[in-house]
Amino acid sequence: MLSRSGFGSLLFAAAIAVSCVGAQAHDESKYPDWNGQWRRPPGVNNQWDPTKPRGQEGAPLTPEFQAIFEANLKDQELGGQGTDPTYTCIPDGMPRAMNVIFPMEMIILPNTTYIHIEYLQMFRRIYTDGRKFPEDTDTSFMGYSIGKWVDTDGDGRFDELQVETRFLKSPRAFDSSGIPLHPDGQTIVHERFYQDKDKPDVLHDEVTTIDHALTRPWTVTKHYNRVRNPIWVEAICSENNDHIKLGNETYMRSADGLLMPAKKGQRPPDLKYFNVQDATK
Amino acid sequence: MRYRSLIGSCARVAAFMAALVLTLASAQAFDESKYPDLKGQWDRTTAPRWADAKSAPLTAEYRAIFEENVKDQAAGGQGTDPTFTCLAPGMPRVMNAYEPFEIVVTPRTTHFLMDHIHDSRRIFTDGRDWPKEIQPNFSGYSIGKWIDEDGDGRYDVLEVETRGLRGPRSYDSTGLPFHADNETVINERIYLDKADKNTLYDEITVKDHALTRPWTVTKKYVRKSTKPVWHESVCAENNPHVVIADEPYMLSADGFLMPAKKDQAPPDLKYFPQSRK
Repeated sequence: MLSRSGFGSLLFAAAIAVSCVGAQAHDESKYPDWNGQWRRPPGVNNQWDPTKPRGQEGAPLTPEFQAIFEANLKDQELGGQGTDPTYTCIPDGMPRAMNVIFPMEMIILPNTTYIHIEYLQMFRRIYTDGRKFPEDTDTSFMGYSIGKWVDTDGDGRFDELQVETRFLKSPRAFDSSGIPLHPDGQTIVHERFYQDKDKPDVLHDEVTTIDHALTRPWTVTKHYNRVRNPIWVEAICSENNDHIKLGNETYMRSADGLLMPAKKGQRPPDLKYFNVQDATK
Repeated sequence: MRYRSLIGSCARVAAFMAALVLTLASAQAFDESKYPDLKGQWDRTTAPRWADAKSAPLTAEYRAIFEENVKDQAAGGQGTDPTFTCLAPGMPRVMNAYEPFEIVVTPRTTHFLMDHIHDSRRIFTDGRDWPKEIQPNFSGYSIGKWIDEDGDGRYDVLEVETRGLRGPRSYDSTGLPFHADNETVINERIYLDKADKNTLYDEITVKDHALTRPWTVTKKYVRKSTKPVWHESVCAENNPHVVIADEPYMLSADGFLMPAKKDQAPPDLKYFPQSRK
């Protein structure tokens, strides 16, 4: 009996030791392995719906916002930027950031999952600590995101991250074709991140956008491919940005650095604050 | 003897099982207790200046460049400060901490997440060697090593070396310059104050060919909150600076181009077919 009792005590001690480690450790085995670098698949550009060509994605826009979108397409054809606001290097914001123009890293910790997207250095904090949305907070391009890990197949390991994002600011568009979001800042974005069951190096993000510019929630599924030993390369939008916004007009920078028209027949900027008569002479 | 032997065997088996379970647990777990608690929101304690410019051990050539920059800034220009167009500040300038930052420690990488321009950093702590070739970045390529200096079983210093930098960079908005060869090497020792765990130090030593010797400056940060509210900071959102043909101009409050310097000539508009009268 003494020996059995001693053996039991030792096992108890071992269990306590394990518990102590568990209490101070982030048990990575409970979470999916999403380490590495995630890239949009070859052939997918920056269109919001990767199954359709840019500009022909069939966004379920209200008549008002469909008209805004079509006017934007005409402006873009003439050399303008339409309703795509990111030519001045402001962040894509949500949900457009999930186009992942440049590669993405996901950092999973118990209280927060961080998504770091190289382009425009966009990073998202997705809080998974059980908090509720604040009653009020600053709006931002990336929004305020709350997530929940789910074990959908009951194997004791989380396999899906469900996210809701609110408190978004404007201006934002779904992609460079200028598909607009309503400027009322009421957008809500739901996401389901999950790894492909057959291809562990493929990640999916099912994104549902609820917005007053849309007639119904719009769901699109994005796919990303993993690079396991990545090289991270900086992408600095403002480094070689050829677009210049003066007032409400956009111009271009020529190869020799001078201001030039973005549209045919565009008038030069008003130089009324300069002490000259005519800068073209 | 047989009874004692049996007890001993059981004890050895139990100890082995305990060790095995612990090993398995640690293999799958990130033991946060081994690392200093750097969670929360860190903020600078002074204005975002590197140091007193007079103390910078610049070579004569770069002292002259700096003085020229000071004159240009006094006239309304930007001198050798390149970030007014929202270009990334790069290392080591980002450690001025223009906005509050978060440190995310994982076993393989320590991330510095800073909302400002393009200020975040990855510090690789996975034991890698320097790659044979590094594509230069403003934030450089950083390799770190956690050190348990006092031998208490817990890391207390993160030593970092950063190479592979690109330019243009300056230490701060005064325009203190780096050598144009971008061969800067930066060594850092990042550690918590022993008496105040809400104070963080970064002892930064810069080696650069614009300097006559390695230059060490220690930055101090305070933990503002363990439950922070994060505010987005977007340099490009309301930037009033415009560069046309290497010449800096400003945007007026009503959106027009205006001079940044007294009697500055307007930009050449030769690509516009008609003049504005």
